Amino acid sequence: MTRLAADLRYVARTSLRGLVGSPTTSAVCVATIAVALLLVGAFGLLVQNMQGLLDRVGDDLGVTAYLEPDLDADARTSLAARVATIEGVAEVAVISREEALRRFREGVGAQSGLLDALEENPLPASLEITLHEAQRGPEGLRRVVEALDGLPGVADLAFGQEWVEGYARAVRLARGVTIGAGAVLAVAALLIVANTIRLAIFARRDEIEILALVGASRTFVAWPFLIEGCLQGAAGGVLALVGLYALFRATLPEIESGFSLLLGFAEPAFFAPGSALALVVAGAALGALGSAAALLSGWRS
Amino acid sequence: MTGPVGEAPRRDALVQMYHVSKSYQPGSFALRDVTLEVQKGEFVFLTGPSGAGKTTLLKLLFAAEAPSEGQIVLRGRNIARLRERAVPALRRRIGVVFQDFKLLANRTVEENVAVTLEVLGRPPREIRRRAFEMLKQVGLQHRRHAHPPALSGGEQQRVALARALAGEPELLLADEPTGNLDPELTLEIMDRIAHAAARGTSVIVATHDHSLIERYGRRTLQLEAGHIKEDRPPAGPGT
Ligand SMILES: Nc1ncnc2c1ncn2[C@@H]1O[C@H](COP(=O)(O)OP(=O)(O)OP(=O)(O)O)[C@@H](O)[C@H]1O
Ligand SMILES: [Mg+2]
Repeated sequence: MTRLAADLRYVARTSLRGLVGSPTTSAVCVATIAVALLLVGAFGLLVQNMQGLLDRVGDDLGVTAYLEPDLDADARTSLAARVATIEGVAEVAVISREEALRRFREGVGAQSGLLDALEENPLPASLEITLHEAQRGPEGLRRVVEALDGLPGVADLAFGQEWVEGYARAVRLARGVTIGAGAVLAVAALLIVANTIRLAIFARRDEIEILALVGASRTFVAWPFLIEGCLQGAAGGVLALVGLYALFRATLPEIESGFSLLLGFAEPAFFAPGSALALVVAGAALGALGSAAALLSGWRS
Repeated sequence: MTGPVGEAPRRDALVQMYHVSKSYQPGSFALRDVTLEVQKGEFVFLTGPSGAGKTTLLKLLFAAEAPSEGQIVLRGRNIARLRERAVPALRRRIGVVFQDFKLLANRTVEENVAVTLEVLGRPPREIRRRAFEMLKQVGLQHRRHAHPPALSGGEQQRVALARALAGEPELLLADEPTGNLDPELTLEIMDRIAHAAARGTSVIVATHDHSLIERYGRRTLQLEAGHIKEDRPPAGPGT
Protein backbone atom coordinates (compact mmCIF):
# COMPACT_ATOMS: atom_id res chain seq x y z
CA MET A 1 0.00 0.00 0.00
CA THR A 2 2.78 2.43 0.92
CA ARG A 3 4.56 1.35 -2.23
CA LEU A 4 1.50 2.21 -4.27
CA ALA A 5 1.01 5.51 -2.43
CA ALA A 6 4.65 6.40 -2.96
CA ASP A 7 4.39 5.55 -6.65
CA LEU A 8 1.21 7.60 -7.03
CA ARG A 9 2.79 10.57 -5.33
CA TYR A 10 5.83 10.27 -7.50
CA VAL A 11 3.74 10.06 -10.68
CA ALA A 12 1.55 13.01 -9.66
CA ARG A 13 4.51 15.18 -8.75
CA THR A 14 6.49 14.31 -11.85
CA SER A 15 3.59 14.83 -14.26
CA LEU A 16 2.77 18.18 -12.70
CA ARG A 17 6.39 19.18 -12.99
CA GLY A 18 6.24 18.23 -16.66
CA LEU A 19 3.12 20.33 -17.23
CA VAL A 20 4.43 23.38 -15.42
CA GLY A 21 7.99 22.91 -16.59
CA SER A 22 7.18 23.24 -20.29
CA PRO A 23 4.09 25.48 -20.48
CA THR A 24 4.36 26.23 -24.21
CA THR A 25 4.46 22.60 -25.24
CA SER A 26 1.63 21.81 -22.85
CA ALA A 27 -0.46 24.63 -24.30
CA VAL A 28 0.13 23.39 -27.84
CA CYS A 29 -0.95 19.86 -26.90
CA VAL A 30 -4.07 21.13 -25.14
CA ALA A 31 -5.00 23.40 -28.06
CA THR A 32 -4.50 20.65 -30.66
CA ILE A 33 -6.77 18.28 -28.81
CA ALA A 34 -9.31 21.05 -28.17
CA VAL A 35 -9.58 21.96 -31.86
CA ALA A 36 -9.99 18.35 -32.95
CA LEU A 37 -12.66 17.67 -30.34
CA LEU A 38 -14.42 20.95 -31.16
CA LEU A 39 -14.86 19.87 -34.77
CA VAL A 40 -16.00 16.36 -33.88
CA GLY A 41 -18.26 17.77 -31.18
CA ALA A 42 -19.90 20.25 -33.56
CA PHE A 43 -20.82 17.45 -35.95
CA GLY A 44 -22.01 15.36 -33.04
CA LEU A 45 -24.22 18.17 -31.80
CA LEU A 46 -25.75 18.56 -35.24
CA VAL A 47 -26.52 14.87 -35.55
CA GLN A 48 -27.89 14.71 -32.04
CA ASN A 49 -30.32 17.53 -32.76
CA MET A 50 -31.38 16.11 -36.12
CA GLN A 51 -31.98 12.78 -34.44
CA GLY A 52 -33.92 14.48 -31.66
CA LEU A 53 -36.09 16.15 -34.24
CA LEU A 54 -36.74 12.86 -35.97
CA ASP A 55 -37.78 11.32 -32.68
CA ARG A 56 -40.12 14.22 -31.98
CA VAL A 57 -41.69 13.95 -35.40
CA GLY A 58 -41.88 10.21 -34.94
CA ASP A 59 -43.86 10.65 -31.75
CA ASP A 60 -46.50 12.59 -33.64
CA LEU A 61 -46.24 10.23 -36.55
CA GLY A 62 -49.40 8.39 -37.27
CA VAL A 63 -51.78 7.61 -40.09
CA THR A 64 -55.10 9.17 -40.68
CA ALA A 65 -57.53 6.99 -42.63
CA TYR A 66 -60.41 9.00 -44.13
CA LEU A 67 -63.53 6.90 -44.37
CA GLU A 68 -66.11 6.50 -47.11
CA PRO A 69 -69.00 8.91 -46.43
CA ASP A 70 -71.61 6.13 -46.49
CA LEU A 71 -70.13 4.20 -43.60
CA ASP A 72 -72.44 4.11 -40.57
CA ALA A 73 -71.34 4.19 -36.92
CA ASP A 74 -71.38 0.38 -36.50
CA ALA A 75 -69.32 -0.15 -39.62
CA ARG A 76 -66.84 2.49 -38.42
CA THR A 77 -66.46 0.74 -35.05
CA SER A 78 -65.90 -2.67 -36.59
CA LEU A 79 -63.44 -1.21 -39.08
CA ALA A 80 -61.61 0.45 -36.18
CA ALA A 81 -61.44 -2.89 -34.38
CA ARG A 82 -60.03 -4.54 -37.46
CA VAL A 83 -57.41 -1.83 -37.94
CA ALA A 84 -56.39 -2.18 -34.30
CA THR A 85 -55.25 -5.76 -35.05
CA ILE A 86 -52.76 -4.63 -37.69
CA GLU A 87 -49.21 -5.26 -36.56
CA GLY A 88 -47.55 -2.06 -35.30
CA VAL A 89 -50.79 -0.26 -34.53
CA ALA A 90 -51.05 0.89 -30.94
CA GLU A 91 -54.30 2.80 -30.84
CA VAL A 92 -57.20 3.63 -33.08
CA ALA A 93 -59.48 6.57 -32.41
CA VAL A 94 -62.69 7.10 -34.36
CA ILE A 95 -63.19 10.74 -35.32
CA SER A 96 -66.79 11.43 -36.32
CA ARG A 97 -67.64 14.08 -38.88
CA GLU A 98 -68.93 16.32 -36.09
CA GLU A 99 -65.73 15.92 -34.12
CA ALA A 100 -63.70 16.69 -37.22
CA LEU A 101 -65.63 19.89 -37.78
CA ARG A 102 -65.25 20.92 -34.15
CA ARG A 103 -61.49 20.44 -34.38
CA PHE A 104 -61.36 22.33 -37.60
CA ARG A 105 -63.21 25.26 -36.06
CA GLU A 106 -60.81 25.25 -33.16
CA GLY A 107 -57.85 25.16 -35.49
CA VAL A 108 -59.07 28.05 -37.60
CA GLY A 109 -59.93 30.11 -34.49
CA ALA A 110 -61.19 33.64 -35.05
CA GLN A 111 -62.18 33.03 -38.63
CA SER A 112 -64.48 30.14 -37.66
CA GLY A 113 -67.49 32.38 -38.40
CA LEU A 114 -66.83 31.76 -42.07
CA LEU A 115 -67.74 28.12 -41.57
CA ASP A 116 -71.25 29.03 -40.45
CA ALA A 117 -71.99 29.82 -44.04
CA LEU A 118 -71.69 26.12 -44.88
CA GLU A 119 -74.96 24.30 -45.05
CA GLU A 120 -73.50 20.89 -44.66
CA ASN A 121 -70.43 19.53 -42.83
CA PRO A 122 -67.93 18.83 -45.65
CA LEU A 123 -65.49 16.84 -43.52
CA PRO A 124 -65.34 13.05 -43.65
CA ALA A 125 -65.14 10.81 -40.62
CA SER A 126 -61.73 9.28 -40.02
CA LEU A 127 -59.66 6.85 -37.99
CA GLU A 128 -56.64 8.28 -36.18
CA ILE A 129 -54.10 5.54 -35.94
CA THR A 130 -51.17 5.73 -33.54
CA LEU A 131 -48.20 3.44 -34.06
CA HIS A 132 -46.32 1.40 -31.47
CA GLU A 133 -43.20 3.24 -30.43
CA ALA A 134 -40.93 0.70 -32.07
CA GLN A 135 -42.73 1.13 -35.40
CA ARG A 136 -42.52 4.94 -35.45
CA GLY A 137 -40.15 5.29 -38.34
CA PRO A 138 -40.26 5.15 -42.12
CA GLU A 139 -40.29 1.33 -42.14
CA GLY A 140 -43.06 0.80 -39.58
CA LEU A 141 -45.10 3.51 -41.18
CA ARG A 142 -44.87 1.92 -44.61
CA ARG A 143 -45.90 -1.49 -43.28
CA VAL A 144 -49.02 -0.09 -41.57
CA VAL A 145 -49.95 1.99 -44.60
CA GLU A 146 -49.68 -1.07 -46.85
CA ALA A 147 -51.99 -3.01 -44.57
CA LEU A 148 -54.52 -0.18 -44.52
CA ASP A 149 -54.44 0.47 -48.22
CA GLY A 150 -57.44 -1.07 -49.93
CA LEU A 151 -59.34 -1.96 -46.79
CA PRO A 152 -63.05 -1.66 -47.58
CA GLY A 153 -64.42 1.57 -46.14
CA VAL A 154 -61.10 3.42 -46.29
CA ALA A 155 -61.25 6.23 -48.82
CA ASP A 156 -57.91 7.88 -48.43
CA LEU A 157 -54.76 7.78 -46.31
CA ALA A 158 -52.67 10.69 -45.01
CA PHE A 159 -49.21 10.32 -43.57
CA GLY A 160 -45.84 12.04 -43.63
CA GLN A 161 -44.00 9.22 -45.33
CA GLU A 162 -41.92 11.09 -47.87
CA TRP A 163 -40.83 13.79 -45.52
CA VAL A 164 -39.92 11.30 -42.85
CA GLU A 165 -37.94 9.12 -45.22
CA GLY A 166 -36.00 12.07 -46.59
CA TYR A 167 -35.24 13.36 -43.18
CA ALA A 168 -34.16 9.97 -41.86
CA ARG A 169 -31.82 9.70 -44.81
CA ALA A 170 -30.35 13.08 -43.92
CA VAL A 171 -29.83 11.99 -40.33
CA ARG A 172 -28.14 8.78 -41.45
CA LEU A 173 -25.90 10.74 -43.79
CA ALA A 174 -24.98 13.26 -41.12
CA ARG A 175 -24.22 10.48 -38.67
CA GLY A 176 -22.01 8.76 -41.24
CA VAL A 177 -20.22 12.01 -41.96
CA THR A 178 -19.71 12.60 -38.25
CA ILE A 179 -18.30 9.14 -37.66
CA GLY A 180 -16.06 9.40 -40.72
CA ALA A 181 -14.93 12.94 -40.03
CA GLY A 182 -14.57 12.10 -36.35
CA ALA A 183 -12.32 9.16 -37.13
CA VAL A 184 -10.19 11.19 -39.55
CA LEU A 185 -9.94 14.08 -37.11
CA ALA A 186 -9.13 11.77 -34.21
CA VAL A 187 -6.32 10.13 -36.18
CA ALA A 188 -5.01 13.50 -37.35
CA ALA A 189 -5.17 14.89 -33.82
CA LEU A 190 -3.46 11.78 -32.51
CA LEU A 191 -0.60 12.20 -34.99
CA ILE A 192 -0.21 15.90 -34.23
CA VAL A 193 -0.47 15.34 -30.50
CA ALA A 194 1.97 12.44 -30.60
CA ASN A 195 4.38 14.59 -32.55
CA THR A 196 4.04 17.52 -30.17
CA ILE A 197 4.54 15.24 -27.20
CA ARG A 198 7.46 13.60 -28.94
CA LEU A 199 9.14 16.97 -29.17
CA ALA A 200 8.40 17.51 -25.49
CA ILE A 201 9.86 14.12 -24.68
CA PHE A 202 12.84 14.79 -26.90
CA ALA A 203 13.45 17.99 -24.94
CA ARG A 204 13.49 15.85 -21.82
CA ARG A 205 15.55 12.96 -23.15
CA ASP A 206 18.35 13.77 -20.68
CA GLU A 207 15.92 13.30 -17.85
CA ILE A 208 14.71 10.00 -19.31
CA GLU A 209 18.28 8.81 -19.86
CA ILE A 210 19.33 9.70 -16.33
CA LEU A 211 16.30 7.95 -14.84
CA ALA A 212 17.18 4.85 -16.83
CA LEU A 213 20.79 5.06 -15.57
CA VAL A 214 19.68 4.99 -11.94
CA GLY A 215 17.58 1.91 -12.60
CA ALA A 216 14.13 3.24 -13.47
CA SER A 217 12.05 0.79 -15.48
CA ARG A 218 10.26 1.94 -18.61
CA THR A 219 6.97 1.88 -16.75
CA PHE A 220 8.41 4.12 -14.06
CA VAL A 221 9.57 6.59 -16.69
CA ALA A 222 6.40 6.31 -18.77
CA TRP A 223 3.69 6.83 -16.14
CA PRO A 224 4.25 10.52 -15.53
CA PHE A 225 4.24 11.17 -19.28
CA LEU A 226 1.01 9.21 -19.75
CA ILE A 227 -0.69 11.05 -16.90
CA GLU A 228 0.62 14.32 -18.28
CA GLY A 229 -0.88 13.50 -21.69
CA CYS A 230 -4.12 12.47 -20.02
CA LEU A 231 -4.40 15.76 -18.14
CA GLN A 232 -3.58 17.77 -21.25
CA GLY A 233 -6.18 15.82 -23.21
CA ALA A 234 -8.84 16.30 -20.55
CA ALA A 235 -8.07 20.02 -20.47
CA GLY A 236 -8.44 20.07 -24.26
CA GLY A 237 -11.78 18.29 -23.92
CA VAL A 238 -13.06 20.82 -21.39
CA LEU A 239 -11.88 23.64 -23.63
CA ALA A 240 -13.67 22.11 -26.63
CA LEU A 241 -16.83 21.75 -24.56
CA VAL A 242 -16.72 25.39 -23.51
CA GLY A 243 -16.12 26.43 -27.12
CA LEU A 244 -19.00 24.28 -28.35
CA TYR A 245 -21.34 25.71 -25.76
CA ALA A 246 -20.39 29.26 -26.71
CA LEU A 247 -20.96 28.38 -30.37
CA PHE A 248 -24.27 26.74 -29.52
CA ARG A 249 -25.51 29.79 -27.59
CA ALA A 250 -24.38 32.15 -30.31
CA THR A 251 -26.18 30.33 -33.11
CA LEU A 252 -29.20 29.32 -31.05
CA PRO A 253 -31.57 32.08 -32.34
CA GLU A 254 -30.88 31.11 -35.96
CA ILE A 255 -31.32 27.41 -35.33
CA GLU A 256 -34.50 27.99 -33.42
CA SER A 257 -36.13 30.13 -36.09
CA GLY A 258 -35.02 27.67 -38.75
CA PHE A 259 -36.54 24.73 -36.91
CA SER A 260 -39.83 26.44 -36.13
CA LEU A 261 -40.20 27.65 -39.68
CA LEU A 262 -39.76 24.12 -40.93
CA LEU A 263 -41.61 22.16 -38.30
CA GLY A 264 -43.58 24.44 -36.06
CA PHE A 265 -41.54 23.61 -32.98
CA ALA A 266 -37.96 24.08 -31.96
CA GLU A 267 -35.98 22.76 -29.06
CA PRO A 268 -32.32 22.58 -29.96
CA ALA A 269 -30.49 20.78 -27.17
CA PHE A 270 -26.85 20.86 -26.01
CA PHE A 271 -25.01 17.68 -25.00
CA ALA A 272 -26.38 15.79 -22.03
CA PRO A 273 -23.91 15.52 -19.10
CA GLY A 274 -23.03 11.98 -20.21
CA SER A 275 -22.04 13.03 -23.74
CA ALA A 276 -20.15 16.04 -22.40
CA LEU A 277 -18.21 13.76 -20.08
CA ALA A 278 -17.56 11.40 -22.99
CA LEU A 279 -15.96 14.28 -24.91
CA VAL A 280 -13.60 15.05 -22.02
CA VAL A 281 -12.78 11.36 -21.60
CA ALA A 282 -12.09 11.13 -25.33
CA GLY A 283 -9.67 14.03 -24.95
CA ALA A 284 -7.91 12.33 -22.06
CA ALA A 285 -7.63 9.11 -24.05
CA LEU A 286 -6.27 11.03 -27.03
CA GLY A 287 -3.62 12.66 -24.84
CA ALA A 288 -2.59 9.40 -23.21
CA LEU A 289 -2.42 7.65 -26.58
CA GLY A 290 -0.34 10.51 -27.96
CA SER A 291 2.12 10.15 -25.09
CA ALA A 292 2.27 6.38 -25.49
CA ALA A 293 2.91 6.71 -29.22
CA ALA A 294 5.61 9.30 -28.62
CA LEU A 295 7.32 7.17 -25.95
CA LEU A 296 7.21 4.05 -28.10
CA SER A 297 8.68 5.77 -31.12
CA GLY A 298 11.31 7.37 -28.88
CA TRP A 299 12.36 4.04 -27.45
CA ARG A 300 12.43 2.36 -30.80
CA SER A 301 14.98 4.83 -32.14
CA MET B 1 29.32 -14.35 9.79
CA THR B 2 28.65 -17.78 8.32
CA GLY B 3 32.20 -19.16 8.51
CA PRO B 4 33.64 -20.73 11.66
CA VAL B 5 35.47 -18.36 13.99
CA GLY B 6 39.13 -17.87 13.11
CA GLU B 7 38.81 -18.93 9.50
CA ALA B 8 40.21 -16.48 6.98
CA PRO B 9 37.45 -14.47 5.28
CA ARG B 10 36.12 -16.53 2.40
CA ARG B 11 36.72 -15.00 -0.98
CA ASP B 12 33.36 -13.79 -2.16
CA ALA B 13 33.52 -12.35 -5.64
CA LEU B 14 30.94 -9.73 -6.57
CA VAL B 15 32.37 -8.85 -9.98
CA GLN B 16 34.11 -11.25 -12.34
CA MET B 17 35.27 -10.30 -15.82
CA TYR B 18 36.66 -12.95 -18.15
CA HIS B 19 38.57 -11.97 -21.28
CA VAL B 20 36.40 -8.96 -21.82
CA SER B 21 36.96 -6.78 -24.87
CA LYS B 22 35.09 -3.77 -26.03
CA SER B 23 35.38 -2.21 -29.42
CA TYR B 24 33.33 0.86 -30.34
CA GLN B 25 34.62 0.86 -33.90
CA PRO B 26 35.93 -2.10 -35.83
CA GLY B 27 39.68 -2.38 -35.58
CA SER B 28 40.13 -0.35 -32.39
CA PHE B 29 39.65 -1.61 -28.86
CA ALA B 30 38.70 0.51 -25.87
CA LEU B 31 39.20 -2.59 -23.73
CA ARG B 32 41.19 -5.65 -24.69
CA ASP B 33 41.11 -9.02 -22.96
CA VAL B 34 40.44 -7.79 -19.45
CA THR B 35 40.13 -10.44 -16.73
CA LEU B 36 39.58 -9.40 -13.14
CA GLU B 37 37.70 -10.11 -9.96
CA VAL B 38 36.42 -7.72 -7.32
CA GLN B 39 35.43 -9.09 -3.93
CA LYS B 40 32.47 -8.13 -1.86
CA GLY B 41 33.36 -5.02 0.17
CA GLU B 42 36.63 -4.57 -1.73
CA PHE B 43 37.93 -1.08 -2.61
CA VAL B 44 39.68 -0.86 -5.96
CA PHE B 45 41.28 2.08 -7.74
CA LEU B 46 41.17 2.07 -11.51
CA THR B 47 43.80 4.28 -13.03
CA GLY B 48 45.53 4.96 -16.32
CA PRO B 49 45.95 7.75 -18.84
CA SER B 50 43.09 9.46 -20.54
CA GLY B 51 41.49 7.16 -23.10
CA ALA B 52 42.83 4.02 -21.39
CA GLY B 53 39.33 2.60 -21.02
CA LYS B 54 38.40 3.39 -17.40
CA THR B 55 34.96 4.77 -18.15
CA THR B 56 34.34 1.99 -20.65
CA LEU B 57 35.06 -0.66 -18.02
CA LEU B 58 32.63 0.96 -15.61
CA LYS B 59 29.97 1.26 -18.34
CA LEU B 60 30.15 -2.46 -19.02
CA LEU B 61 29.43 -3.14 -15.35
CA PHE B 62 26.19 -1.18 -15.23
CA ALA B 63 25.15 -2.35 -18.70
CA ALA B 64 25.42 1.02 -20.41
CA GLU B 65 27.50 -0.81 -23.00
CA ALA B 66 27.68 -4.48 -23.88
CA PRO B 67 31.06 -6.18 -24.20
CA SER B 68 32.16 -7.17 -27.70
CA GLU B 69 33.74 -10.33 -26.30
CA GLY B 70 34.03 -12.12 -22.99
CA GLN B 71 31.82 -12.68 -19.98
CA ILE B 72 30.91 -10.44 -17.07
CA VAL B 73 29.47 -12.02 -13.96
CA LEU B 74 27.88 -9.96 -11.25
CA ARG B 75 27.14 -11.90 -8.07
CA GLY B 76 26.94 -15.15 -10.00
CA ARG B 77 24.83 -13.79 -12.80
CA ASN B 78 26.14 -13.31 -16.32
CA ILE B 79 25.35 -9.81 -17.44
CA ALA B 80 27.36 -9.76 -20.66
CA ARG B 81 24.24 -10.20 -22.76
CA LEU B 82 21.48 -8.95 -20.58
CA ARG B 83 17.95 -8.65 -21.91
CA GLU B 84 16.92 -5.02 -21.98
CA ARG B 85 14.13 -5.68 -19.52
CA ALA B 86 16.59 -6.95 -16.93
CA VAL B 87 18.80 -3.85 -17.05
CA PRO B 88 16.84 -1.64 -14.58
CA ALA B 89 16.93 -4.28 -11.85
CA LEU B 90 20.72 -4.58 -12.29
CA ARG B 91 21.19 -0.82 -12.07
CA ARG B 92 19.11 -0.57 -8.93
CA ARG B 93 21.80 -2.58 -7.16
CA ILE B 94 24.62 -0.39 -8.44
CA GLY B 95 25.41 3.18 -7.49
CA VAL B 96 27.22 5.24 -10.11
CA VAL B 97 28.97 8.60 -9.82
CA PHE B 98 29.26 9.72 -13.41
CA GLN B 99 32.22 11.63 -14.70
CA ASP B 100 29.75 14.32 -15.89
CA PHE B 101 27.46 13.85 -12.82
CA LYS B 102 24.22 13.43 -14.80
CA LEU B 103 22.03 15.27 -12.33
CA LEU B 104 18.43 16.19 -13.18
CA ALA B 105 18.56 19.92 -13.83
CA ASN B 106 14.85 20.52 -13.26
CA ARG B 107 14.77 18.87 -9.84
CA THR B 108 16.14 20.06 -6.55
CA VAL B 109 19.26 18.61 -5.00
CA GLU B 110 17.12 16.71 -2.53
CA GLU B 111 14.89 15.30 -5.28
CA ASN B 112 17.96 14.21 -7.22
CA VAL B 113 19.11 12.13 -4.28
CA ALA B 114 15.56 10.89 -3.71
CA VAL B 115 15.29 9.53 -7.26
CA THR B 116 17.41 6.51 -6.34
CA LEU B 117 15.03 5.68 -3.51
CA GLU B 118 11.90 6.38 -5.55
CA VAL B 119 13.12 3.95 -8.18
CA LEU B 120 13.63 1.42 -5.39
CA GLY B 121 10.02 2.03 -4.28
CA ARG B 122 10.84 3.13 -0.75
CA PRO B 123 8.08 4.80 1.31
CA PRO B 124 8.00 8.63 1.10
CA ARG B 125 8.82 9.15 4.77
CA GLU B 126 11.94 7.03 4.49
CA ILE B 127 12.90 8.72 1.22
CA ARG B 128 12.79 12.18 2.82
CA ARG B 129 14.73 11.09 5.88
CA ARG B 130 17.37 9.19 3.94
CA ALA B 131 17.84 11.89 1.26
CA PHE B 132 18.45 14.47 3.99
CA GLU B 133 20.86 12.18 5.78
CA MET B 134 22.83 11.50 2.59
CA LEU B 135 23.10 15.22 1.85
CA LYS B 136 24.31 15.82 5.38
CA GLN B 137 27.02 13.20 4.91
CA VAL B 138 28.40 15.10 1.92
CA GLY B 139 27.90 18.46 3.65
CA LEU B 140 25.18 19.80 1.38
CA GLN B 141 22.05 19.71 3.51
CA HIS B 142 21.85 23.52 3.38
CA ARG B 143 21.66 23.37 -0.43
CA ARG B 144 18.91 20.76 -0.60
CA HIS B 145 16.35 23.09 -2.24
CA ALA B 146 18.77 24.41 -4.87
CA HIS B 147 18.80 23.13 -8.45
CA PRO B 148 22.00 21.54 -9.79
CA PRO B 149 22.82 24.30 -12.33
CA ALA B 150 23.12 26.69 -9.39
CA LEU B 151 25.78 24.48 -7.78
CA SER B 152 29.55 24.50 -8.21
CA GLY B 153 31.18 21.53 -9.92
CA GLY B 154 32.38 20.17 -6.60
CA GLU B 155 28.93 20.51 -5.09
CA GLN B 156 27.34 18.71 -8.03
CA GLN B 157 29.87 15.94 -7.64
CA ARG B 158 28.91 15.51 -4.00
CA VAL B 159 25.21 15.39 -4.90
CA ALA B 160 26.06 12.68 -7.41
CA LEU B 161 27.84 10.70 -4.69
CA ALA B 162 24.93 11.14 -2.28
CA ARG B 163 22.55 9.85 -4.97
CA ALA B 164 24.80 6.88 -5.75
CA LEU B 165 25.04 5.82 -2.12
CA ALA B 166 21.43 6.55 -1.07
CA GLY B 167 20.18 3.08 -1.95
CA GLU B 168 23.05 1.26 -0.17
CA PRO B 169 24.18 -0.41 -3.39
CA GLU B 170 26.19 -3.63 -3.56
CA LEU B 171 28.55 -1.97 -5.99
CA LEU B 172 29.64 1.64 -6.22
CA LEU B 173 31.23 2.83 -9.45
CA ALA B 174 32.80 6.26 -9.19
CA ASP B 175 34.28 7.92 -12.27
CA GLU B 176 36.70 10.66 -11.15
CA PRO B 177 34.62 11.41 -8.04
CA THR B 178 37.13 13.95 -6.74
CA GLY B 179 38.06 15.60 -10.03
CA ASN B 180 36.47 18.90 -9.10
CA LEU B 181 37.21 18.96 -5.39
CA ASP B 182 39.85 20.78 -3.36
CA PRO B 183 42.25 18.57 -1.36
CA GLU B 184 40.32 18.90 1.86
CA LEU B 185 36.96 17.94 0.32
CA THR B 186 38.65 15.18 -1.65
CA LEU B 187 39.66 13.49 1.57
CA GLU B 188 36.21 13.91 3.07
CA ILE B 189 34.57 12.38 0.03
CA MET B 190 37.08 9.53 -0.22
CA ASP B 191 36.53 8.78 3.46
CA ARG B 192 32.80 8.59 2.78
CA ILE B 193 33.43 6.15 -0.04
CA ALA B 194 35.83 4.08 2.12
CA HIS B 195 33.16 4.00 4.78
CA ALA B 196 30.70 2.50 2.29
CA ALA B 197 33.28 -0.16 1.40
CA ALA B 198 33.78 -0.95 5.07
CA ARG B 199 30.06 -1.63 5.30
CA GLY B 200 30.18 -4.19 2.50
CA THR B 201 29.76 -2.21 -0.71
CA SER B 202 32.31 -3.11 -3.36
CA VAL B 203 33.85 0.06 -4.74
CA ILE B 204 35.62 0.84 -7.98
CA VAL B 205 37.02 4.36 -8.21
CA ALA B 206 38.45 5.55 -11.51
CA THR B 207 40.99 8.31 -10.96
CA HIS B 208 44.03 10.07 -12.37
CA ASP B 209 45.03 11.25 -8.93
CA HIS B 210 48.14 9.32 -7.87
CA SER B 211 48.42 11.10 -4.54
CA LEU B 212 45.00 9.68 -3.72
CA ILE B 213 46.08 6.17 -4.61
CA GLU B 214 49.22 6.48 -2.54
CA ARG B 215 47.38 7.93 0.40
CA TYR B 216 44.79 5.18 0.56
CA GLY B 217 47.04 2.31 -0.44
CA ARG B 218 44.22 0.19 -1.90
CA ARG B 219 44.35 -2.36 -4.65
CA THR B 220 45.01 -0.54 -7.91
CA LEU B 221 44.28 -1.65 -11.46
CA GLN B 222 46.48 0.15 -13.94
CA LEU B 223 44.88 0.33 -17.38
CA GLU B 224 46.78 1.20 -20.48
CA ALA B 225 45.36 1.25 -24.00
CA GLY B 226 42.54 -1.01 -22.96
CA HIS B 227 44.33 -3.73 -21.06
CA ILE B 228 45.39 -4.22 -17.48
CA LYS B 229 49.07 -3.41 -17.23
CA GLU B 230 49.30 -3.94 -13.50
CA ASP B 231 47.07 -5.21 -10.70
CA ARG B 232 48.75 -3.84 -7.59
CA PRO B 233 47.56 -5.34 -4.28
CA PRO B 234 46.80 -3.15 -1.27
CA ALA B 235 49.94 -1.62 0.23
CA GLY B 236 50.92 -1.48 3.87
CA PRO B 237 49.06 -2.57 6.95
CA GLY B 238 45.29 -2.62 7.11
CA THR B 239 43.20 -2.60 4.00
N1 LIG C 1 30.87 5.96 -27.33
C1 LIG C 1 32.08 5.82 -27.87
N2 LIG C 1 32.21 5.68 -29.21
C2 LIG C 1 33.41 5.51 -29.76
N3 LIG C 1 34.55 5.48 -29.08
C3 LIG C 1 34.51 5.62 -27.75
C4 LIG C 1 33.26 5.81 -27.08
N4 LIG C 1 33.50 5.92 -25.75
C5 LIG C 1 34.83 5.83 -25.61
N5 LIG C 1 35.44 5.64 -26.80
C6 LIG C 1 36.86 5.45 -27.00
O1 LIG C 1 37.29 4.38 -26.19
C7 LIG C 1 38.53 4.68 -25.59
C8 LIG C 1 38.42 4.59 -24.07
O2 LIG C 1 37.58 5.61 -23.62
P1 LIG C 1 37.20 5.81 -22.09
O3 LIG C 1 36.18 6.87 -22.02
O4 LIG C 1 36.86 4.48 -21.53
O5 LIG C 1 38.58 6.32 -21.50
P2 LIG C 1 38.90 6.83 -20.02
O6 LIG C 1 40.00 5.97 -19.50
O7 LIG C 1 37.68 6.90 -19.21
O8 LIG C 1 39.46 8.28 -20.32
P3 LIG C 1 39.37 9.60 -19.39
O9 LIG C 1 40.40 9.44 -18.33
O10 LIG C 1 39.71 10.69 -20.32
O11 LIG C 1 37.97 9.68 -18.86
C9 LIG C 1 38.93 6.07 -26.06
O12 LIG C 1 39.83 5.91 -27.12
C10 LIG C 1 37.65 6.68 -26.54
O13 LIG C 1 37.88 7.54 -27.61
MG1 LIG D 1 36.59 8.43 -18.38
